Amino acid sequence: MSAQQFDPNESKYAASARAFRDNVTRDLANDELRDNFRGAMDYLMDKRKNAFPNSDELETLREQCKLIKQRCLLKLPHLLEQLETNLEANGIKVHWAETITDANDIIAQLIANKNGKTVVKGKSMVSEETALNDHLETRDIECLESDMGEYIVQLAHEHPSHIIMPAIHQNKKQVADLFAKNIDGFEHTTDVDALIGEGRRVLREKFSQADVGITGVNFAVAETGTLCLVENEGNGRMCSTVPNLHIAITGIEKVVEFLEDVPPLLSLLTRSATGQIISTYFNMISSPRKSDEKDGPEEVHLVLLDNGRSQAFADDELRQTLQCIRCGACMNHCPVYTRIGGHAYGTVYPGPIGKIISPHMLGLEATNNLPTASSLCGACGEVCPVKIPIPKLLLRLRTESVKVRTSAPEVMKGESSGRKTLEVIIWKGWSVMHKYAFIYNTAMWFATRLRKLMPSKIGVWTSVRTAPQLAPTTLHEQIKTRNNQKNKGGK
Amino acid sequence: MSITYQQKSIVAKGNILGKLKKEVAGADYNKLPTETGYQYPTSSFEAQLSQFTTHLEANHAQVIKLKETDIAKVITEQLEQRNINKLLYGNSAPICAMLAGVGHSISKEVYDFDLQAHKNKLFNDMPAAITNSYAAIAATGSIVLWPTIEEPRTLSLVPPVHIVIVDAKKLYSNFTQLISAQQWQDKLPTNIVLVSGPSKTADIQQTLAYGAHGPKELIVLLLNS
Repeated sequence: MSAQQFDPNESKYAASARAFRDNVTRDLANDELRDNFRGAMDYLMDKRKNAFPNSDELETLREQCKLIKQRCLLKLPHLLEQLETNLEANGIKVHWAETITDANDIIAQLIANKNGKTVVKGKSMVSEETALNDHLETRDIECLESDMGEYIVQLAHEHPSHIIMPAIHQNKKQVADLFAKNIDGFEHTTDVDALIGEGRRVLREKFSQADVGITGVNFAVAETGTLCLVENEGNGRMCSTVPNLHIAITGIEKVVEFLEDVPPLLSLLTRSATGQIISTYFNMISSPRKSDEKDGPEEVHLVLLDNGRSQAFADDELRQTLQCIRCGACMNHCPVYTRIGGHAYGTVYPGPIGKIISPHMLGLEATNNLPTASSLCGACGEVCPVKIPIPKLLLRLRTESVKVRTSAPEVMKGESSGRKTLEVIIWKGWSVMHKYAFIYNTAMWFATRLRKLMPSKIGVWTSVRTAPQLAPTTLHEQIKTRNNQKNKGGK
Repeated sequence: MSITYQQKSIVAKGNILGKLKKEVAGADYNKLPTETGYQYPTSSFEAQLSQFTTHLEANHAQVIKLKETDIAKVITEQLEQRNINKLLYGNSAPICAMLAGVGHSISKEVYDFDLQAHKNKLFNDMPAAITNSYAAIAATGSIVLWPTIEEPRTLSLVPPVHIVIVDAKKLYSNFTQLISAQQWQDKLPTNIVLVSGPSKTADIQQTLAYGAHGPKELIVLLLNS
């Protein structure tokens, strides 16, 4: 997206989330895209399954990790203060931001303080959430994504379609075409090793030149003041080690209390995400460069972002949303995500977790459609490593979306915005009809007798389906007839 | 005058913590349920060592078991095989002793420079590096690097070939055991990295490729006396 289109007052994702239905129509019609997702999801589901050969271990770990996250959330304000104290004692500066604009301003200011002009970024979904690249671009700061998937997505002027594998919607031929268009001297090839080699060549040069490295955080350990990064490529290590300034950005829910909370969470994270028993690198950063050390950034900063998380926190049920460790297993196993792909949601976080977290970030008005785009099959809840009851939360959000507006304190921004008068009248009628037998029987009698009058085209329903046909008599009548015949036969 | 980003951050902190504290005020931590971890079956040292090497090899690392006296010879062989004639190392006593016998075909360079002033050298002129390791983890085939003044963080990251020395005596069954045995929470250094293979990515059509941004090759010299 170009810099001019960026509106600092509302996330650019609010508009694209509102366009959900159109996005779905667009992406369902794209056969290549659907093949790419089908292939990728089958691969990731298979990998996860093989990574958990022992179901006792899996279930024990899931219960343990759920309880760890719930404990850390119960103690969240205290842990955030402890984290800040310990990070600052280690020499890492902490900044707090309530909104995405505030977070972007802090980062821009930190870069300006050092006269920074070029940034290399490790993978960070929170920085996608704040649309940081757009923001820095308006200040003439070059911001280059260095995760291979993110790099591809940035070259294509897109955003990630998956939180773990950002370029999952593209196949190698599409990547090759993209490289040919954007990288001088690139010789067209669909050999993946060669493509990665090309990305490596371009990005290594950038690592060695960049003024600033920006990364996300997977776990922030309160008791030690440590930032933990999980990755395979080494770009997270590059971004957090080579430039003189390292800025990490994360959501307030990523803090854990003890260092010993990390191993079980890490084990579930990598196995749930990509089926790896551990990622290639697990990077634990506890301080900037100390005197006499020969490398590492002189300054390390952590930006803690709220952006709607405290709203989810305020409700006991919705708080479970914040247990998420961002493994992406829910989207990998989601029949809806597999078919419509990650971009159709229009939000930063797609799939089941996106449906339950985005309403807190963008408001329920912009994201009304998301909780309804589910068959409630339950797969997301079953694979969630921290046992977030996603289907239950989807139902809860549906309720929040259509509930009557009252003077009671607001549970979430945009609640009741999905309430439609026609829908209310229909359900009222439905309820009355089912309360009184006379009305119900009469209505059914007419409906079955006048069934020929039913139109064969019923809006969107029949655009992809044949119209339903009503039976000539009601079920009650049919059973009555059947029982009568039975009784006669019995005598 | 407009408020600074620092002042804004202080206000944000107050607002965020205020909201959170209101919700969990008076929470009784004593009522938290017991968290039970999975009890992994204990295994013999030999089994753990084999688990360690199996995982590393599955992740594309090359594991060479050897005696300390053979280190210099093996390093020379491995580098010559790859036509590499330069090795970057950290100036620590054990590594210096091990490298003493490395062949004349290999020029040894010590990492004694400040990275900020020598990025070009490290990125473009150092085909291989050797580091020591702090510990190892059997369950995941991980090598624990604990960078020091002598062995900086980028020594194990930037050169395309990373040779690492692992002493089997420092093998722990899993990450939890390592942390608790050594009480890590009391003494974390600037940086610790768990390395479990060469750098890799599957970001293009789920096809695994090695040498994404870090080392393309990880050669593990496993000492088991």
